[in-house]
Amino acid sequence: MLWAALLLLTFGMVMVYSSSIAMAEASKFTRGSPAYFLQRHALFLAASLFAGMLAFQVPVRLWQQAAPWLFVLGVALLALLLAPGLGREVNGARRWLSLGLVNLQPSEFMKLFVVLYAADYTVRKLALMHSFKRGLLPMFAVMLVVGWLLLREPDFGAFVVITAITTGILFLGGMNGKWFGGLLVMMAAGFVGLVLSSPYRMQRIFGFMDPWSDPFGRGYQLSHALIAFGRGEWFGVGLGASVEKLLYLPEAHTDFLLAVIGEELGFVGVIAVIALFSWLVLRAFAIGRQAVALERPYPALVAQGIGVWFGVQSFINMGVNMGVLPTKGLTLPFMSFGGSGLLANCLALAVLMRIDWENRQLMRGVRA
Amino acid sequence: MNFAASPVLALTLPTWRSRLLLYVFIACFAVLLGRAVYLQGLNNDFLQAKGESRYSRVIEIPANRGRILDRNGEALAISTPVKSIWAIPGEVRPSERQLARLGALLEMSPREIENRLAETGRDFVFLKRQIPPEVAERVAALHIPGLFQNREYRRYYPSGEVAAHVLGFTGVDDIGQEGVELAFQDGLAGKPGSRRVIKDRLGQTVEDVESIKAAQDGHDLALALDARIQNLAFSQLKAAVAQHRAKAGGVVVVDVDTGELLALANFPTYNPNNRHKLAGAQLRNRALTDTFEPGSTLKPFTVALALEGGRVRPDSVIQIAPGSLSIGASTIHDAHFERSLTVAQIIQKSSNVGAAKIALALSAESMWEMFRDVGFGAAPGLGFPGEAAGKLRPYRNWRPIEQATMSYGHGISVSLVQLARAYSVFARDGELIPLSMLRVDMPPPARRVMARRTAGAVRAMLEMAVNRGGTAPRAQIMGYRVAGKTGTAHKQENGVYAADKYVSSFVGFAPASHPRLVIAVMIDEPSAGRYYGGTVAAPVFAQVMAGALRVLDVPPDGPMQPIELPPEGEEVKESV
Repeated sequence: MLWAALLLLTFGMVMVYSSSIAMAEASKFTRGSPAYFLQRHALFLAASLFAGMLAFQVPVRLWQQAAPWLFVLGVALLALLLAPGLGREVNGARRWLSLGLVNLQPSEFMKLFVVLYAADYTVRKLALMHSFKRGLLPMFAVMLVVGWLLLREPDFGAFVVITAITTGILFLGGMNGKWFGGLLVMMAAGFVGLVLSSPYRMQRIFGFMDPWSDPFGRGYQLSHALIAFGRGEWFGVGLGASVEKLLYLPEAHTDFLLAVIGEELGFVGVIAVIALFSWLVLRAFAIGRQAVALERPYPALVAQGIGVWFGVQSFINMGVNMGVLPTKGLTLPFMSFGGSGLLANCLALAVLMRIDWENRQLMRGVRA
Repeated sequence: MNFAASPVLALTLPTWRSRLLLYVFIACFAVLLGRAVYLQGLNNDFLQAKGESRYSRVIEIPANRGRILDRNGEALAISTPVKSIWAIPGEVRPSERQLARLGALLEMSPREIENRLAETGRDFVFLKRQIPPEVAERVAALHIPGLFQNREYRRYYPSGEVAAHVLGFTGVDDIGQEGVELAFQDGLAGKPGSRRVIKDRLGQTVEDVESIKAAQDGHDLALALDARIQNLAFSQLKAAVAQHRAKAGGVVVVDVDTGELLALANFPTYNPNNRHKLAGAQLRNRALTDTFEPGSTLKPFTVALALEGGRVRPDSVIQIAPGSLSIGASTIHDAHFERSLTVAQIIQKSSNVGAAKIALALSAESMWEMFRDVGFGAAPGLGFPGEAAGKLRPYRNWRPIEQATMSYGHGISVSLVQLARAYSVFARDGELIPLSMLRVDMPPPARRVMARRTAGAVRAMLEMAVNRGGTAPRAQIMGYRVAGKTGTAHKQENGVYAADKYVSSFVGFAPASHPRLVIAVMIDEPSAGRYYGGTVAAPVFAQVMAGALRVLDVPPDGPMQPIELPPEGEEVKESV
């Protein structure tokens, strides 16, 4: 699993460089240095790997104890974004906290904190999971607050991921089937309501359904992403030879990295990425079930929660790239450019590996 | 484990839920995989076509425009490489200093440049076109981002104003606007080639995809024009227009053997290399596009027709007394009184009364046919823009007075080129040959329009007109026998003949024993006192003819002795 993640990270770095050259050169912001994004990405990556190694040293028990506090921290950071003067606005969304040299994106960390907290919550209320009032309602209330904060930014993508993580963990934690079904229906209704209530989200939905009807307006991004895939064919046009990245495809190095991969490395490149993510999810769930077998419910839920996170986020991102899902601002975990995302992903990976390591220790008979 | 009812064990997580979720994920990833196969393997043609339409562009490779050469290969129009400066308005942000230097180089005010660059809605704005390459290099040295250069060609005409009307000129897009440049645009322009390239969103070419078509350079065009004769004709014309304070003038030189136009000069003219402040009058290729009432130069055709029908012989005597002829309410006068003249003398001394009397014995239809046969009333067909056909009214409407005046060139209008061509019939023993603006290697077939004998007889009369006792002694050339006819006509203004405005002309050929060149000269509104064709136009003819024969190395056929001219004012006056 570590190898899969490392492959994704390395591959991601190469592709971030390749896809950002043209943009870096053209932008005044980077002072014309083509390696601007590569340098920053490599720096973030080194920091993230180091942080991951540190995080690996932390026992899962400690994570569980810290979970509520981390969750509160996350909510606080999200709330700070709304405070005037602190949030940095890019393309109409206030998603970044300006911290001098680097910008922090709280929603990325929030995803990890939600995994840790929801798992902790579920384990604590394991016995009450069949009850609506005491099992579901408190969590529901908390998530409403988080969801509201995220939508204020707005960061619809993070909202979907976090909702998915929470529901996933509640579901895995044995929530009453009837209530869960009701919850799904409610969420579906809420989702539709949200989409219909905001013209900005409406536009994205329609752009996805038929990008060719308005290829220079709503469908601009997606149509260029699709063209990139089409140009790639089976084996790609060759590393660095993408045309779409030459300022046609916006956000080629973040949200639409897979499209550039598809163009430059073809179907082979895309299949490799899908395979690596599948393996990651598979392993996370395997580790989780191992923990279940070892009667360690908290690590089990955390591991699977992380699996849900990676799975949902990578699926949505790739689905968006290929025009299966409506356009949302979500990055590809481990691969896309962006320091906060990278750091949060690496921390999650470290936690996952720690769980696996503790599982193995247990199986060897060492009691934690 | 499932059968254990222990409450502790019941707290363990249900594994089936985990498996179900995992399967959902695997299904999702499978969908992605399927989508990738569809996009990259199956639907890629459609997507690639969409992509092509976004960033692949066909760019044109300009073809070099062919040169225009004279008959001996001397360049009359050549293309020199120049540059155009263009900009992407949104991307050019020059400093004050850069702006000032750019303005100085492009000869534009900084404000003017800023105004151009303010059109931010556009991706492409020309700042200045057709600047010399060395200036373009200095512009490039300013290193202003967003400023680009295009290679273009600019036409240059080494002969300047001399042949301006024949050559015409090209516009800024290198497309012919006037003259030969317009008439032979297709051949000169060649065919631009094209390549397909991929451009990035800023319009920079990133990849050459394919060359669709190689550029085909335009063909060089060899004109019939002889630069030496053209120079001569132009300089003599210019001098004559100045000397006689005329409004305009033209000279046409035609090769009798081939029908080639060896020279075609007009005045006023213009410098095609610098076309600022051009007036319409300067632009007109008068010799070809303007018509005038030719006057007495048409008398030989009337006489030729009468000779053809056997009605008269050159020595038939026609009564002129009392020196005027009344037809209906109108009266035709002669300039000088003669009791009677032979047919030949009518030409020699240019008698209107004599010509009219001969004409009245002819049918209107036959006169009309003669005029038509020698090319009047129809465009000469050089392929040149705006060739005039002239006015030759249908004979059915001719009244007797009209038929009479037409015999000496009134009530009919021709262009100078038509006149020169018509005289080639006498020079060629009765054949009419098509004229050509281009060099001719094989002369085209000529059409016989009058008997050889008739043409020979008229030639002899025309020689008499130039010699002592004729109206045009000043057309004589030392060493060559010359034949020709003067014309002096009142100009019509608003349908009335103006008393003091004349068109003076002379058409002739030499050597008379074996004609080689026809030259027609026309001077419009000479206003320095003299206006007779014999004194205004004939000297120009003599100068150009003498020079041209020398240039062409034509052997002399006349006595090598100085020409004796009658004292000023004592030559035979032409009837006007």
